[in-house]
Amino acid sequence: MPYEWTTVFGYLGEFLQAAWLALEITFLAFVLAVVLGILAALGRNSRLKVLRFVAGMYVEAIRNTPVLLQVFVAYFAVPSLGIHVNAFTAGTIALGVNVGAYLAEVFRAGISSVPKGQLEAAGILGLNQGQVLLSVVFPQALRNVYPAVINNLIQILLGTSLLSAIAVPELTGTAVTINARTLIFVQVFTVTLAIYLILSNLLSYAGVLIGRRAFKPALVVPRSAFRQSLTFRRATNGTGEGSS
Amino acid sequence: MNFSLVFDSLPLLFQGLLMTLLLSVASMIGSTIVGLVAATLRTSRLPVGSQIARVYVEIFRGSPLLITLLVVYYGVAYAGYAMNVLVAAIIGISVYHGAYIAEIIRGGIEAVPHGQWEASRILGLSSTQTFTSVILPQTRKLVLPPLVGQYIALIKDTSLAFIIGLAELTRQGQSIVDRVGQPVLIYFLVAIIYFIICYPLSLWVQSLDRRRLA
Repeated sequence: MPYEWTTVFGYLGEFLQAAWLALEITFLAFVLAVVLGILAALGRNSRLKVLRFVAGMYVEAIRNTPVLLQVFVAYFAVPSLGIHVNAFTAGTIALGVNVGAYLAEVFRAGISSVPKGQLEAAGILGLNQGQVLLSVVFPQALRNVYPAVINNLIQILLGTSLLSAIAVPELTGTAVTINARTLIFVQVFTVTLAIYLILSNLLSYAGVLIGRRAFKPALVVPRSAFRQSLTFRRATNGTGEGSS
Repeated sequence: MNFSLVFDSLPLLFQGLLMTLLLSVASMIGSTIVGLVAATLRTSRLPVGSQIARVYVEIFRGSPLLITLLVVYYGVAYAGYAMNVLVAAIIGISVYHGAYIAEIIRGGIEAVPHGQWEASRILGLSSTQTFTSVILPQTRKLVLPPLVGQYIALIKDTSLAFIIGLAELTRQGQSIVDRVGQPVLIYFLVAIIYFIICYPLSLWVQSLDRRRLA
């Protein structure tokens, strides 16, 4: 084997550690994004004008500015207000807040895909508002927008690469460091690209499997459904996305 | 609010804005051409061509834009050539977003009923004529909303050119922060500028989409 490849494989441990860190950030940010997304979706559908306004501001402000800028705000601007966070926390929160705004629109589309009559029926059957949301609206809404949710999970994974700009040692940052140390560009970036492709495909396979197991009846989605761009989804909000 | 700082930083931010606009427009044109070629190949009957287009789309949609930019910029230098950062950013963003646009256009092409191909051929049109004057025009209504949506994503993604050293809007903002501090104010100004560019486009997408569904 040429020495370049043996050198790169000597760094395999660091690559894998960095990939693990990227996955960790992805999952933490995803949890935050789901929570924020549900809150903002409920806020935008709320009867209170204040809540609608705040949720609308959050969604539009985040979706119309670059995520890199949001990462910088979390890492450089927030500490100047006296709140000190490390790069890992700031980056994870920025990604979570970013994707939360996209998920808010996804969840909103999901909620509006549940027929109104069901809410009235559930109310008449004596369920209170919380019960209606939890056991009537959410399960059906989630089913309808499930591919879009998994797509957002993959977008967070790709977004973790931006955290190299605030010196989080995730995959891209690690690749740049190893490249600077070894100067074997082709091999370093081939390995990095391969790891990203493996991770993003793993997430979409996991999405297919979970879709089959978690929903009754089983939800069968082709993997291609998870690979629309963020904004493609926005443009097709609530229209038969789950079935395509 | 520190007004003198705002006024002092406006010229720099304006320069950055011009660079961001230049990069955005050039990359929009580039990515649309790349996407159109890839979608044409993908839907063609050329076995090798459609496989190449498929692999292209899979690779770029499964990896981050930053990797593409780093590969273009450092890759060219590694191969022993020098490349302008702006050109590198245009190429990187065009190739990356081209993969997404290819899928949007492919969706549009495949939505046109197959019978139209056969009908056009029977009417004596060549397959190129059928594609350019029968199939493509009909995809417009379906393709335009997600395409504009993709352009919004592209405009926001031009901020990543910052990382390979292009003096676009985000970088100009950061350079002011590096010199005089005041990150909250400066980032707010930068964000407002991006918002002013992107929000009208977002509203346009929404109205296009409502019209399409209506």
